[in-house]
Amino acid sequence: MDLNVVGKNIIRVDAYSKVTGKALYPQDIYLEDMVYGKVLRSTKPHGKIKVDITEAEKVKGILKIFTYKDVPKENKYGVVLKDHEVFVSEKVVRIGEPIAFIVGETQEICEEAYEKIIVDYEELNAVFDPIEAMKEDSPIVHGDSNIILHYKLRHGDIEEGKKKCKYIVENIYRSPMVEHAFLQPEAGLSYLEEDGTVVVAVATQYPHYDREEIAINLGLPEEKIKVINTNIGGAFGAREDISVQIHLALAAIVLRRPIKIIFSREESFLAHSKRHPMVMKYKTGADENGFLQYMEAEIIGDSGAHASWAINVLRKAGVHATGPYVIPNVNVDSYAVYTNNPFTGAMRGFGATQVSIAYEQQIDELAVKLGMDPIEIRMKNIFRKGSMTATGQILTDSVPLDKCIEAVDKEFQFSRKLEVESI
Amino acid sequence: MKKIGKGIGLSYYGTGYGNGFPDVSRAIIKLLPAGRIGIYCGVTEVGQGAKTSMRQIGAEVLDIDIENIDLVHEDTSLMPDSGTAAATRQTYNTGNAIKIACENMKKELLEKAKIELNLNSTSGLTLEKGEVILSFFPQKRISYKKLSEIYYNDVIIEAKGEFTAQTTEMDKETGQGAPYWPYTFNACAVEVEVDTETGIVNILKSTFAQDAGRAVNPMLLEGQMDGGFAMGLGYTLFEDLNLDKGIMKNNRFSKYLIPTAMDMVDINNIIVEDPEPTAPYGAKGIGEPVTIPIAPAILNAIYDAVGVRIKELPVTPEKLIKHLRGCKENR
Amino acid sequence: MVNISLIVNEKLFEVSVSENLRLIDLLRDELGLIGTKEGCGEGECGACTVIMDGETVNSCLVMAFQANGSNILTIEGMEKEGKIHPIQQAYIDVGAVQCGFCIPGMVLSTKALLDKKPHPSKDEIREGISGNLCRCTGYNKMIYAAEKAIEYMEEGK
Repeated sequence: MDLNVVGKNIIRVDAYSKVTGKALYPQDIYLEDMVYGKVLRSTKPHGKIKVDITEAEKVKGILKIFTYKDVPKENKYGVVLKDHEVFVSEKVVRIGEPIAFIVGETQEICEEAYEKIIVDYEELNAVFDPIEAMKEDSPIVHGDSNIILHYKLRHGDIEEGKKKCKYIVENIYRSPMVEHAFLQPEAGLSYLEEDGTVVVAVATQYPHYDREEIAINLGLPEEKIKVINTNIGGAFGAREDISVQIHLALAAIVLRRPIKIIFSREESFLAHSKRHPMVMKYKTGADENGFLQYMEAEIIGDSGAHASWAINVLRKAGVHATGPYVIPNVNVDSYAVYTNNPFTGAMRGFGATQVSIAYEQQIDELAVKLGMDPIEIRMKNIFRKGSMTATGQILTDSVPLDKCIEAVDKEFQFSRKLEVESI
Repeated sequence: MKKIGKGIGLSYYGTGYGNGFPDVSRAIIKLLPAGRIGIYCGVTEVGQGAKTSMRQIGAEVLDIDIENIDLVHEDTSLMPDSGTAAATRQTYNTGNAIKIACENMKKELLEKAKIELNLNSTSGLTLEKGEVILSFFPQKRISYKKLSEIYYNDVIIEAKGEFTAQTTEMDKETGQGAPYWPYTFNACAVEVEVDTETGIVNILKSTFAQDAGRAVNPMLLEGQMDGGFAMGLGYTLFEDLNLDKGIMKNNRFSKYLIPTAMDMVDINNIIVEDPEPTAPYGAKGIGEPVTIPIAPAILNAIYDAVGVRIKELPVTPEKLIKHLRGCKENR
Repeated sequence: MVNISLIVNEKLFEVSVSENLRLIDLLRDELGLIGTKEGCGEGECGACTVIMDGETVNSCLVMAFQANGSNILTIEGMEKEGKIHPIQQAYIDVGAVQCGFCIPGMVLSTKALLDKKPHPSKDEIREGISGNLCRCTGYNKMIYAAEKAIEYMEEGK
């Protein structure tokens, strides 16, 4: 195909504004007569709360302190399950949940009022280990079970597969909770246009979703809400859930003043999702010729206190659990589980970044047992054009994994090393 | 003692929301004053380069320079919903929507050119550098600029495009189905040096091959590969929130360490192209996949260097030392 | 309140500041120089890097009154007569920019390095920008950009 533009190293259109410091992120926008907001967040992982804002409201320069009582409509949101509250109404389920939104003339005034809000906690037993959380007698985070998802993958016949194996390796792998650590902390502005349309300027991965959640929670038609996406200082999945959007829109509408908020780095850590930690129990077997015949995996992912994308992440982990290998007999069970930990959600690789540490070490262990080099065992088993995945899907096109392996092996000479050693 | 080892990691990654969920991207194309092309599309620039790569796809179809494209993608009141900038779906899904919309726009431009050039058919009309031209009699031509002077206000030339990815919902009991499409593949090899006294792991070199279907912009793609490598490196060797009873003890950059320039090495990035027929010009998404093979490659290299298999991340020096000592005792 | 005078991007400013005002707040909120970014507030990320009397500082850790009498360069001062600095041009040309939030600080750290050492080794470049965090690029194109900038400056570009 003869292409003029696609495939060319075109200079980024936003590079100039970014190298000159002219690119605007939400924190860089200043509006006339602007007020500031600050979020009060929970400090206990599980408990019933009573909030007293009386003294805080008296601080000079405070315009209003919003709590759940001020949310006109739903007071609940979430990308899949609606298990976040705009402000906690009764029970906190993690450290860092929004309880109140303080709006004042300056950031200092907000800080002063923040210190004067009293939150009484009646602490409840909490659960921090997803395996514990799956048990019958565990404290419950939401509803009547902590198990959000059980994804089942059944392919072939694992008993038959086992029989064909000369070697089976069995290991448990653990991946940690990880922070996205984008450089631009969450920030945003909101203001009203002359016709009453509320504008929210924010750095978000999905402005139309934000608009929908604002509409649902504030009881507004979507046409009366405009979400403006500014420059975004990195995202990696952490700007998919709601952060500042609903609080800002609510305050702008009620107070009829432009409002701005900027999170500190510590608040940014508290406010957005994390990568799901996973416990991954793997059994993988190969026959005497090095062909994979069998794999069983149980994957438990800690969703923390909110589901966010847990259903999709643990499903994706389950689907990708085999790695890019043809395995005729596979059982996978993956679970997403609520705990009182910080909530987890989307992060670059979305479940697949966790399982890769398991399936790729399993295959290397098998290679050692079989006396094969890491390239040889992979080349025998990888997906190629026409291969079938464990979900029964045929990879009809564009499967250049062999080319990728050849390209890296050309530089690294994995196979040659083994020959040298055997001499 | 310092020991050197090398390891490889492979991965594959399915694009899109998946599992039969409607995964839709939309775009509207308008001929604007001065013959500029407006692309109205809810595609988000998170830093990955969407502002540039999406213009490239539009520019390719309509044969103009990207400088002549206005991408309107930051205001929900002006642009159609194109889904989230996530799931490695923008290049594939939204790129497809823009390509389809621009192809529809091309038909519109040819139709209007037919009228203005007093032709009986659009047959033989092509787009060339901002003009509609009758290929076998190039004197018959009209520029986008001229068309924009004729068609403005109410009679503006515009077109729409929509793309919905094809996936199926998996069976609830067996997980059988076609949950994602397309899949992207990669392989990463790394060489590490492990200091057996301190437990510190240094990356010495890496070769990283990434399938892209087709690279829309190789320079942007290499940037993703470098960045994905760095994120994978931090995940493997040091990133730790130190979670204790729901409290993140490492809740700031002085405690939660991410890679610096000193932790990185030059990566030999190789882009592998094998165009995907359902993708715009064959281009698949790579934003997430570039992170996935890094950790296993490093872990396998550590094993190759010191014979210890680490099954729990991150591989902090303390953890590695503990494993190395454990290994000796077992012997 | 304290009266201070300082030069920012070759312009003299005389301002009255409170004792607890940080330099970054003075630059951004008072002087409107929003190219200086705040990423962590504790001097770890380098997004707020400015050059003060020839040395890079984290402007979130410097109090405004401490800048009294100093000469400060921010990203806005890198552009001369409508022409951007060769380092900025190199960042654009090699594709070293992604989300962009760290870029002003990164460019200034690179400048401070090249001012002191016009021909640094690759490792010295890595060290020179190691106080500036970037989560997008993996730094490699930034190192390449520094090398390219050296070429540009020699060519008088």
